[in-house]
Amino acid sequence: MKILMTALYLALGTIFGFTLSRSGAADYDFIQAMFLFKNLQLYGIMGSAVVLAAPGLWLIQRRGRTALGTPIHVELKPLNRGTIVGSLLFGVGWSMAGMCPGPIFVNLGEGKIYALAALAGALVGASALGTVYRSLQSIFGLPALKTPSRA
Amino acid sequence: MPRYAVDLDVTLILNGLPPIHWAIAGAIIAAIALALLLIANRRLGLSTGLEDICSLVLEQPYFQRSAVTSGRGWRLPFLIGLTLGGFLSAVLGGGWHPTWALGMFDTVIGFGPAGKLAWMFVGGVFIGFGTRLANGCTSGHGIFGVSNFEFPSVVASACFFGAGILTTQLIYRVIFH
Repeated sequence: MKILMTALYLALGTIFGFTLSRSGAADYDFIQAMFLFKNLQLYGIMGSAVVLAAPGLWLIQRRGRTALGTPIHVELKPLNRGTIVGSLLFGVGWSMAGMCPGPIFVNLGEGKIYALAALAGALVGASALGTVYRSLQSIFGLPALKTPSRA
Repeated sequence: MPRYAVDLDVTLILNGLPPIHWAIAGAIIAAIALALLLIANRRLGLSTGLEDICSLVLEQPYFQRSAVTSGRGWRLPFLIGLTLGGFLSAVLGGGWHPTWALGMFDTVIGFGPAGKLAWMFVGGVFIGFGTRLANGCTSGHGIFGVSNFEFPSVVASACFFGAGILTTQLIYRVIFH
């Protein structure tokens, strides 16, 4: 079962990656054209994805069970000062690299050499946040970490 | 071409391919978000994947928290799939070649390989630090969160779109004008 699920995630990721690659969502020029309002392709993608996902998410959560019959639980994200400051910082990076986190991997697969530097930077950035998380907690109102009991 | 004109003819940097229709791409993205939830009770969100990778080598409590350790089993194969999807897209669309091509960055800013690596690294640090501070990115906040009518995700999306617009406008209409 576990191997089947892993294969499923791999397959869904592959379809997602192919779609991001061919739609412009992982393309530097389309990202810049979106932010310059010169081409609206990516606004169309985001908009149609949200419009189509919204009723589906509502129906699935109303049903309350997965296709395999296990309960559905969607963990909601908190709102704090980190949501705002972090998203502003992310927007700067999204513009600079022309990639958000998923498309970094897509660009790597496409053979874009510079995506290696974007991935290295993203891992350094995420590690830095993880390392200083406790000292940022009160400034940004971040939630306590839920760690499994490892004692 | 006039600088502020709408440009309908943007092509992909990848082998100059034309993009697929936006509504088709949107429908596939929505279908994948729904499939992850319906089949596996998983909330689409890719920036946590950066932490999954960190968690393989870093021991700090932040990287060993349950949101990371419980999701690695789906996100890591999904991220490998993203890479594979990009690879297949190149192979089936004109061929896979390692490349430095970066579209309008090359024509307007024109840094060579070393400059590009530095630029991308800095951009990457902003992405990694920012998305994790914000607890989400374009997928987890922008697509899943907004579709699920979560207010924090609407705020996050307004912030990252706003900052992206401002940064690109600064880079291409002011600094490298």
